[in-house]
Amino acid sequence: MSQDTTFKYSATVGIQHEEALLFERVHEAPSSIHLPGIDGDISAELSLFSRQQAAGIPGLSEPETVRHFVRMSQWNHGIETGFYPLGSCTMKYNPRVNELLVRLPGLAHIHPDQPEHTVQGALELLYELQGWLGEISGLPYVTLQPAAGAHGELTGLMMIRAALDARGDAHRRKVLVPDSAHGTNPASAALCGMHTVELKSGPDGRIDLDELKAHLDDDTAALMMTNPNTAGAFESDIKEICSLVHAAGALVYGDGANLNALVGVARPGDMGIDCLHINVHKTFSTPHGGGGPGGGPVAVNEELAPFLPVPRIEKNGNAYTLAHACETSVGPVLGTAGQIGVLLRAHAYIAAFGHEHLHRIAEDAVLNANYVLHRLQERYHVPFPGLCKHECLLTDEWQEKHGAKTLDIAKRLIDLGFHPMTIYFPLIVHGAMLIEPTETESRETLDAFCDAMLDIADACEAGATEMLHEAPVKPFRRRLDETQAARKPVLVWPVEQP
Amino acid sequence: MRFLPHTGSDRQAMLDSIGVSGMHDLFADIPSEFHVEKGSLKLADALSEAGIVRKFTRAAEKNHNASNSRYFLGGGTYHHFVPAAVDYVISRGEFLTAYTPYQPEISQGTLQALFEFQTMIARLTGMDVSNASMYEAATATAEAALMARRVTRKSRVLMAGSVNPRYRAVTANYLSRLDGEYAEVDMGAFGTDLDKVIAAMDEQTACVIVQYPDFYGSVYDLAPLHAACDANRCLMVVAFSDISAFALIESPGAMGADIAVGSGQSLGIPMGFGGPHLGLFTCKQKYVRQMPGRVCGMTSDANGKRGFVLTLSTREQHIRREKATSNICSNQGLMCTAAATYMTLMGDAGLATVARHSAAALQSLVSQLPAHVSAAAGAHYNETVLSFAGYAARERFLLATRNHDMFAGIPLEQIEAGVDTRHLLVATTEMIEEADITDFLAALEVSL
Amino acid sequence: MTIPADLKYTKEHEWVRIEGDTATFGISDHAQEALGDIVFVELPEIGRTVDAGEAYAVVESVKAVSDVYAPVAGEIIEVNNALEGESELVNTDPYGAGWIAKVKIGEGSAELLSDHEYNTFLEE
Repeated sequence: MSQDTTFKYSATVGIQHEEALLFERVHEAPSSIHLPGIDGDISAELSLFSRQQAAGIPGLSEPETVRHFVRMSQWNHGIETGFYPLGSCTMKYNPRVNELLVRLPGLAHIHPDQPEHTVQGALELLYELQGWLGEISGLPYVTLQPAAGAHGELTGLMMIRAALDARGDAHRRKVLVPDSAHGTNPASAALCGMHTVELKSGPDGRIDLDELKAHLDDDTAALMMTNPNTAGAFESDIKEICSLVHAAGALVYGDGANLNALVGVARPGDMGIDCLHINVHKTFSTPHGGGGPGGGPVAVNEELAPFLPVPRIEKNGNAYTLAHACETSVGPVLGTAGQIGVLLRAHAYIAAFGHEHLHRIAEDAVLNANYVLHRLQERYHVPFPGLCKHECLLTDEWQEKHGAKTLDIAKRLIDLGFHPMTIYFPLIVHGAMLIEPTETESRETLDAFCDAMLDIADACEAGATEMLHEAPVKPFRRRLDETQAARKPVLVWPVEQP
Repeated sequence: MRFLPHTGSDRQAMLDSIGVSGMHDLFADIPSEFHVEKGSLKLADALSEAGIVRKFTRAAEKNHNASNSRYFLGGGTYHHFVPAAVDYVISRGEFLTAYTPYQPEISQGTLQALFEFQTMIARLTGMDVSNASMYEAATATAEAALMARRVTRKSRVLMAGSVNPRYRAVTANYLSRLDGEYAEVDMGAFGTDLDKVIAAMDEQTACVIVQYPDFYGSVYDLAPLHAACDANRCLMVVAFSDISAFALIESPGAMGADIAVGSGQSLGIPMGFGGPHLGLFTCKQKYVRQMPGRVCGMTSDANGKRGFVLTLSTREQHIRREKATSNICSNQGLMCTAAATYMTLMGDAGLATVARHSAAALQSLVSQLPAHVSAAAGAHYNETVLSFAGYAARERFLLATRNHDMFAGIPLEQIEAGVDTRHLLVATTEMIEEADITDFLAALEVSL
Repeated sequence: MTIPADLKYTKEHEWVRIEGDTATFGISDHAQEALGDIVFVELPEIGRTVDAGEAYAVVESVKAVSDVYAPVAGEIIEVNNALEGESELVNTDPYGAGWIAKVKIGEGSAELLSDHEYNTFLEE
């Protein structure tokens, strides 16, 4: 390819600053920031424990601090910068009003152990959110406590285990997990004292009913499934799957990572799911923050309700309360009632859509994914043909013939101005590329992304493998040496030797 | 609906190009019996942005908060000063709306901030390495117990009774479905006698978990415990709640901790009614491959320039699956950036000032207590237990303080079930002024 | 890709060199290539006994983890500590300096293939 198409699909990059590590800046620390409080003596007893050597945390003046972090921020791609089609992550727009709301002093500066009558406003918002999540999922009993999706999985499995024990089925410790499942599923089962058995997916990437039947027995505690599955396809046999599992005396755990395809349109609880975790940072727009904080509320049916963790947010008459004592509860899974600020953002998001508009999230999300699939399916291998739900799955099978792999395609996308899709997940296909546009992307953006993907397909076919292997060349850093980082891990900046 | 860019004609054109007649065709794979009638879910009516602001403002106004009260509440969450610049940095869209740095070339902002965070936390706690955070202190403590079991290949976990009851409950919960013994050591009322813990250790013990400063704010020497742990080949796990302490007193690392875990909420993160906070996990270098959670490491790129990546990923769930060190898939991300910004603004000098003011406020209070109220004995950092003649006396005091817009402390039985109802857990920070101490003491007189 | 003639192989891509009553274990050239850059090898404890086919070590690359299985049963008498600082030896010299462990041979063996048989197996 002689014509440089690097700038064809996205705007040019502006000034980019290098910025040394805080610890490399050689200058005297400024005089201390002016802090409030009592500038008095500490007790004689405490002074016996005085720290002999300062920790070695360099300080900067406020202007230098702000510039330091602002410069670093500019090296990042975020949803606010551009398209972020990470499959399974639901990178939708994070409403700015939500940032304002959680900073209201009456919500930000309250302590979890204040007397309840002094925090009724917060409890009211959380209680209402519980109800909404119950309604949206079709599983009316909800805990807001788990701090992330994986944490919700653990909590859900704890409840399932407790329910089985209560039934007299304490020997049931086997959890069935499709081979397409996210790694957190078996890891959570192990943490709950259960072992997993992998179910091989059928040729269409879905749960194979015969495979399921072959593994269901008296030792089965649960099936953990994601619906739509991690390949972006709806498990249309869901009713029969749940029937089979229930008939075998086990329960169905729903991993709600892909709820964005269903929200307002269909409810997992109606389909037979007994227990579902919800990723509020995916489906309900709370910001990803560079990796967290997230939130993983869990919604369950009536059988599992007695086992919900504590504390529980309840309403007695007109008063809201945190109930700490409950004999059947699986106990607390966190030191507080939850990632409250994250949950409040989810509340505000649902409040913006209301019952009138909620279904439009799933509709536009599924529309966008199918639009992208349709534009790309002639040039990229689609392992499971047909319409998809909120995300579509491609593989590098056709590009590999020309010497290019999924990793190279992803890195070249960066040079063309797009954050890559999720790569190498799910594991059931080779070289997976999982694209989830979400509903907050315009048609122009989707078209630009598809044009860039087609450009890459062209480049592969034209034999431009060197360009693809060298990518990315435009961003702040080129490909980073992960081997070196893993062989000789350097996790902290070494302390200066005197 | 302002978050959805498509117009009706956009949608129609897209449906046409896909080759379906309507939106319903895209959902035909969901059995029709599960289709919910549009708009029928029992949720509130949609609100405009102004309506949402109004709703939340009204709810927020129902809450009494620390910005217009005097605040002596601790027990794991503390009201420290949060500089405006911290809030600004974490509001930048590039930090706020970025995801986990899986594509490191375009995530160096997050990654360098994480590396700085890890370094500063390791230095503050006096430990060799820190990970890129856990959810919060209680789950971090549970994870420390699990790690100690892996490292020592032993399964017994010993927990001092003076560790925060919530850290204890979550740890016990995490261990309850796995093989191995979990035992708590009764330290007596606000007791600091490590001999009790040492006596309970045996050869099967994987770790001993203590808190420093402990749940009641006590500060005492952990050296005897460290020696006993070495002798029994078990790990010393030190938990902490208010990390600001270590700018003033010796760090867990200096005390000999093998693993130090706790909360970083004191580092520029508002109380927020309990979250999102910041879990910290640090350990000795030799244990690093057994450490749970995400970790960021230094490396170089194809041009030889220094950069950062997530590393040691093979410990984690997406690769090890059921054999992973933990199921944790995320971290507290943005809160790490907040803490890194806070520590940069503060530096050693600022952190030491925060700690000194926090401790001095407690000292001022405790040294002027009237005779009928006692404070727990021994050295305390910024938290202690005040004991009253009885429940009635304590309640009189609390009522008097409520009339002065003061949250004077947490009734101890609220967090530690079963204790006498005459104790109050009181914490102080740099947000306490002399006038607050004066009013606190004045209210104590009333309770006589 | 090499398959030395003086070694035996298993279908799990390990090799074994038998010398009297001791055996040396490692992973084959094919295995190291498939795993990519090896970043860490979790070595077994000396004195541990392993059955034939039991996982005795773990080999990690950046993105993958692989159990390594004992071709024959035995008691671990020596491990290759050089791998601690230089895990890349498994990549650069899988049959020589990249050896993983030595055992005093015990009872039992996995199916052992000659170099020709292993080559045939790889081609399938």
